[in-house]
Formats: sequence, C-alpha cells, structure tokens
Amino acid sequence: MTSALMLQHLKLSYGNRRVLNDVCFSVLEGEFFIIIGPNGSGKTTLVRAMSGAVKPQQGEVQVLGRALRSYSGKALARCVAVVPQVAPVDIPFTVAEVVLMGRSPHLPWMGLERRKDLETAERAMHFTHVAHLAERNLDQLSAGERQRVLIARAICQQPRIMLLDEPTSALDLAHQVQIMDLLDKLRKDEGITVVMVSHDLNLAALYADRLLLMKEGGVVSLGKPAEVLTFETLEQTYGCVLLVDNNPVKAVPRITLVPGDALVWREQRLSKSGHVK
Amino acid sequence: MTAQSLPRRILAVSLVLGLFLAISVFLGLSIGSTGQNLREVLVLVTGHGDPASTMANIVWRIRLPRVLLAALAGATLSLGGLVFQAILRNPLAEPYILGISGGSAIGAIIGILLGLSRFPGVALLAFGGSMATLILVLVIASVKLSLKQDSLILAGVMVNAFCSSVIMFLLSITQDSRLHNILFWLMGDLSMSDTNQTLILAAALLPCFALLFLLARPMNLLLMGEELAANMGLNVRFISIVLMVITSFMVSAVVCHSGLLGFVGLVMPHLLRLLFGPDHRLLVPSCILGGGAYLVLCDLLARSLPAQGELPVGVITAMIGAPLFIFLLQRSRR
Amino acid sequence: MRLRRLPGPEIMRLHRVFPLAVAVFALFLAAASMGEARLVRDQLGREVMAPDNPERVVSLAPSITEIIFALGEGYRLKGVTQHCDFPPEAESLPKIGSYVHLDLEKIVALKPDLCLGTRDGNPREVAEKLEALKIPVYTVNPRDLDTVMDTLLEIGGLLNAEKRALALVGEMRARIAEVKSRVANTKERPTVFFQIGIVPIVSVGTHTFIDELITTAGGRNLAAGSTPYPRFSREQVVALEPEVIIITSMTRGQDFEPVRDEWNQWGSLPAVRNHRVYIVESNLFDRPSPRLVEGLELLARLIHPELW
Repeated sequence: MTSALMLQHLKLSYGNRRVLNDVCFSVLEGEFFIIIGPNGSGKTTLVRAMSGAVKPQQGEVQVLGRALRSYSGKALARCVAVVPQVAPVDIPFTVAEVVLMGRSPHLPWMGLERRKDLETAERAMHFTHVAHLAERNLDQLSAGERQRVLIARAICQQPRIMLLDEPTSALDLAHQVQIMDLLDKLRKDEGITVVMVSHDLNLAALYADRLLLMKEGGVVSLGKPAEVLTFETLEQTYGCVLLVDNNPVKAVPRITLVPGDALVWREQRLSKSGHVK
Repeated sequence: MTAQSLPRRILAVSLVLGLFLAISVFLGLSIGSTGQNLREVLVLVTGHGDPASTMANIVWRIRLPRVLLAALAGATLSLGGLVFQAILRNPLAEPYILGISGGSAIGAIIGILLGLSRFPGVALLAFGGSMATLILVLVIASVKLSLKQDSLILAGVMVNAFCSSVIMFLLSITQDSRLHNILFWLMGDLSMSDTNQTLILAAALLPCFALLFLLARPMNLLLMGEELAANMGLNVRFISIVLMVITSFMVSAVVCHSGLLGFVGLVMPHLLRLLFGPDHRLLVPSCILGGGAYLVLCDLLARSLPAQGELPVGVITAMIGAPLFIFLLQRSRR
Repeated sequence: MRLRRLPGPEIMRLHRVFPLAVAVFALFLAAASMGEARLVRDQLGREVMAPDNPERVVSLAPSITEIIFALGEGYRLKGVTQHCDFPPEAESLPKIGSYVHLDLEKIVALKPDLCLGTRDGNPREVAEKLEALKIPVYTVNPRDLDTVMDTLLEIGGLLNAEKRALALVGEMRARIAEVKSRVANTKERPTVFFQIGIVPIVSVGTHTFIDELITTAGGRNLAAGSTPYPRFSREQVVALEPEVIIITSMTRGQDFEPVRDEWNQWGSLPAVRNHRVYIVESNLFDRPSPRLVEGLELLARLIHPELW
C-alpha cells in the first residue's frame, strides 16, 4: 500500500514556542488514521500542517508522493478536504449552496456549476443524510446537522484524503456514531483516506486502523489500537490513572477513567484482599 | 434546485433591474428643480425637438451628466459595500471603512480652502488623501503581521477617527462661504457634475465592475471563513488584497466627484441580499444596476423636493437609508 | 450789648466767596471734562449714554469704519474689526476680531468710551456684555439707501461731525438722483442675476441692498422675493435666461474667473451671448456705507451701458 501522507522530521514553532518536534510518520492510503493525545500535544497543528494551512520551519509534508509545497491551491484542494471543528456561525448560505461550494476546486474561474456538479452535490447530501435540509439556512441547523453538511461539502471536493479536526466533540452520542460510521463508509466505498483528531479514546479505538499518540509536540506511539493503548503508555502520556481492559463490542482496548475515590476504594480492597480485584 | 438556473437568474435579475435603472434615468432627466417635463423629455430623447432650446440645454447639459454620475456613484458605492462586507465578513462594513472617508475629506477640504476648483484640483487632492490613508491603514494593520479582518477594521476606525479631528479643526478655522462648499462635500453632493469628467470616471469604473463580477464566486467562498475558503483552493490573501485594491480605487474615484455620500454602500447590499439571496454572482450585477437606480432616484428627490435650490443628495440618502437599514437589520434577525 | 455775627452774611463777603466760586467752577470743569454724556436712542430703540465727545471709539463692523473715516473722524477710532479694509488707514488700527466673532477682551482692553455696532451681524450678547461693563454700545440698522443716509447723519451727530455728514448725504443724494434720472430715459429693464454664492449658487432677494441697487440702476432682479438670500440650482438659473450676470462673493481672495468661465459655457443664455457676465467687488454692494453709491453707479453702467 502506498502512503497517502508522509511527514518527515517536521518541526514547527509559533514564535518561540515549539509546537511540533521532529514528527515523522506516514498514513497509508485508505486508512482510518486517528490522532490522539492530551491538550497542547500539537494535534490540531499537525492537521493544519497536513492541510497546508501552516508551514513548518523544518521538515516536509508529502501528499500522495509529492511535496505539499509543490501543489497549487486548487490542486491541493482536489486531493485534500478539511472539515474544521466548528464552522463560522454567520454563513448566510443555505445547505445546498454550502455543499455546492465544495465543488470549487473542480470549477473554472467564473465557476458556473454544471449538471455534473449539481449531481455530485445531491449525492453527497444524500450520503450524509442532509438532503431534506437543502433549503435551510446554516444557522438554523443543529451542531450534528451542521457537521454533516460540512462533511458533505468536503465529499464534493472528491478528495483522496479527508482531514477532520475533532468532528465529534460537540455531538451527542447518536450523532457521534453516525459520523464515524459515515466516514468509515466513505473509506470503504470510495477508498478515501480519513485522518482525524479525536478526544475520545474509545471511539478512536473502535474505528481506527492505526492510532498516533502525541504528547508535547512529539510522537509517543504509533500503531494498531492494541499496540498503542496500553495503560503504561497512556498513564505516562495523560498523567492520570486509567484502567485498560477489553472492549466487549470489538477486539480493541477499552479505556476507563478512574475517579479519585475509586482509587481509594481500590487501595482499600488491595490491602484487604492482598491482590487486585 | 435553484442553483441550476443561476445563469437564468442572473439574466432575469439583470433585466428587471436594468429596466428599473432605465426608468429611473428617464425620470431623472425629466424631473428637476425647474419642475417636471416628462412629455418634453420624451420628445427630446426620441430625437425630435429643438436641440438649442433651453429645455434641451437643461436636459442634456445639466441633468444628463448628473444622472450619469448618480448611476455610477450608486453602483460603485453599493459594490464597495458588498465587497468590504465579504472581505471583512462584517455586515456593518461600508465602503469608507478603511480610512477612505477621512483621507479624502482632508484632501478635499484643503483643496477647497486653497480656492481650487472641483476639477482637477480638489478631486486630485481628495484622491491622494484617500490613497494615503488607505496605505496608512494597511501598514497599521499589517504591523500585527496579519491581514486579519479585525485588525483591518480597527486600523480603519482609528485612522478615520484621527481624520475626523483634523476635519473638525479645519472646519473651525473656516469662516466664510467656503464653509458651505465644504459641508456640501462632506454630505455628498452631485451638483458639480461635469460631462467630460463623468465620462472619464465611467471609463475608469466599468473595467472595475467587470473585474468584480469575475471575482464574485471567490467572494462567496470568502464568506465561508478564511480557513474553509483556503481549503477549497482559494488564495485568500491574494484575492482579498486584489478585491481591496480594486474597490478602494473605485470608491476613491467616485468620492472625488460626489463627496462622502453615505448610507448607500451600507444599505444597498443588505437590501439586495434580502431580495436576491447571498450569492455574489447575483449580487454584483444587482448592486451595479440596483444601486445605480437607487441613487438616481435619491438625487431626483434632492433636486425636486425643495421649493428653491437643491438639497445635497447625501441628505436624502441618509434620511431614507438610516430607517431602511434599521428595518433590514430587524428582518435579518428573525 | 455786642451782636453775634451770623454765618450766612459772612459768606457773602467777597474774599470768602471768591475761593468758593473758583472751587465750584473747577468742579464743573472737572465734571465737564470727565465726559458729560447724554441719553440717546439708537436705531434699535435702545437707550444709550453716549459721551458728548467720544475720543476712544471702537467700530464693530466694516461699514461703520468706512462711515467714520468718510466723516473725517477716523482719528477717534481706536479699534476695528479684522475685515475693516477700507480705507487703507483702517488696516493699521488694532483689531478686535471679526464682526460675527468679536473679541470681548480686546475691546475692553482698548478702554473705549463708545462702541458702534450694527444689528445685522453683531451678536446681541456681545453688546449686552459690553454694556454690563459700562461701555456704551450704539447700534445702527441700515436696511436700504435711505436708512444708510440716516445712519450717516446719526453717527455724524454722535461724533460732532454734523456738517460733514450733511455734506456727504447731500452728495450721495445727488449722485443717486443722477442715476435715477438717466435710467428714467429708457423703458428697458434688463433681467439681472446677481450671484453672491458659488457653492451653492446664492442670489439676493427683495429686502437687500443689492436688490435696491439693481432696481435703482434700471435692472430687474431675477431673484426678487421674500427670501433674502435664495439658493438656486444651475438648472433654475438657466431656465430664467438672465440678460446680465454679475458675480461677486464675500469670500475674500477667491478667484472668480473660473466661475465666469463656467457661465460662459452656456451659450444659450442671453448674458453669455452678449458678453454680459461681470465680476464686481463685493464691498461696494454689501456694506451699508457711502460706497454703496459707487456700487450703484457701477451697476448702472453695467446694466445700461448705453446711457453713459
């Protein structure tokens, strides 16, 4: 399998603050690649480096085998689509208009949309189940619906790679699964590489092919969920007590937070029975 | 889906507004401070009638350049408001927001105080003044190493405020009838229109209109926010600068002829957006035709309402524009 | 028995009376030289304690300055407004501000014993403040040629120059009569547009000096009407088809050639066809002073060149 994205020795600083420190990894084509890590680990910056929104001081990003630098704006937009964490609230367009704008990288300068573009947009809206909202204004939608609209827009770009920054953090449980399933389907149907930043370790474990664990701008661990999500690695990275066991739904680790008094309870039981329950 | 008929919609809107503009122009030629002469003008326009008569003189030499200037100014100011509202993503943006009003006013006042005539003296000074303040605003905003919307607006407000203090000082030391001249300029006044100058202005503005029409879709993308626009392949910085330069040039050129006409650039984009939606490919032609018609009609009122003399047209645009803007804001809240 | 001397008859003794008489006389002299004032009524009907022989006069308007100098009493003037430019001697006198914006401090510092002002232009508050400081302010209100001549006589009376005033007035009347008699020889009354404002275009209505001058000079003021300074759009002027256009403005130092050139582009106007667009000096037309007659004569020559 070829690599969709390759990051080589990426170093990035904002002013004096080093945000990414010698980051090296590659994302394989068609992978569901999820980036996890505590706040301030540089996850969002990493995604922005991958989309070309920020430029590293050292190192290189390669997209589909070519240096990111060598892509023109439009050419890059045809390969990489980005779904931000939140969209600006005051966009005055309807759902249909927003989704259709995703066709921009494929349109000529004056950009009158052709039938092909309209059909692509229709399909994208059906895929993300927002077709019934086509004439609504963006500010009239719920967070979950808005997220799906943005994904539909990204789909219209017909990218090879989709970058998403915490797409589920503002959604309720039902919508979280819905979005993740949608992305998975995209991956399977169209062969799109999905690179995502997530807060939710369990969700990440359930869907990811590979996980990238980051801390303070550096890569801590990279690999399958079972390899990365060990309790020593996690406790060291996150700096808190975690319980790692097996997820009953799928053969992946499950991470449980341990509240303070539960710790005391565990200590008490240990001292009573002499071994961990 | 509505977008399917976009070319058709553009055509339809352009035809309707074009007709509206034509009617407004005809009314503007027929009605003035000496009364209304619809029939006579119809005769003149269709080529009959005595070309040497007083009426012909009034229509062709006084009213026509004025109506032409009103149409150009209305189109430019409306477009200016539209573009700045898109670049700055702020519904309160208007064409003078980046310091153009302050700089051109200072230039014009100095020209008037020096006793220069409107063309070329006062006009050139006004143009120079607005370019100077524009550069000043860009320098101040870019000191923060970003052309972010907020720092631009802030810099524009600061420069305009400073210019206001200079203007107040200049007004206070003006004691004679030049004060009236200055006040009319500050309010926006089309009475000093000159056929040759207006034609030169038209030659300068029409290419700008065409360019802005071509940039209409990128303006749509800009409204999605800088990051999303960039992700969809738009060179945000470059397009924003190009838009800003074209628009500032356009607006400054008009201000040299018309003074600081207010409320047109603020209100017309909102009104047209309410009528035709937020797609700039529709809004650009609507602003050109609809904005032009609006100012032609306002100028008509300015010329015909007073029993004696004329009002500066800026008074009319303010009196209509302010309540209209409040109404539009309330509509958009719902 | 000895009779006591009564004090009364003693005073009558001459050698006692004489010093007393001198003392009383000296007192009278002193009182007289302290400036006896008399109560007069000015043209606004206000009562003013005008000194008999004003020696420190401050003029609050350029027209008054001209009148004072015309009466030959310029030596009494100690202060004038900054716009007092005629005669040239007035320009070297201390300035007390512009006549709409008088400098109270400067006026008081000059210690005037009489201030002369006009109703038109001088703000009333300044007159009231000056009077509160015990400085008499005599206000005139000339509205037409007749009241200008009355003003001349009144100011002449105040400054003890009655003879000169009478002579001046007589001269003025003679010159006006001359103009009137010549104008009576023709029935033509050309239409005149007298422009005193450039942006906006402003002309003069019926109750102004200029209107009276135009009419007396044998013209017809196109802007006659109840509005004293009506505004015109260019369109309205073109529609009126004036036969004579006269341009002036109170704006000093402005060049009016461009204004004339602008009008000269309108070939349809009779004034332009016949080359009758003129520029005149505004001071001859808007100051209620003896020079109004000069303005009249100038106007008459412009409107009826055939009569001179």
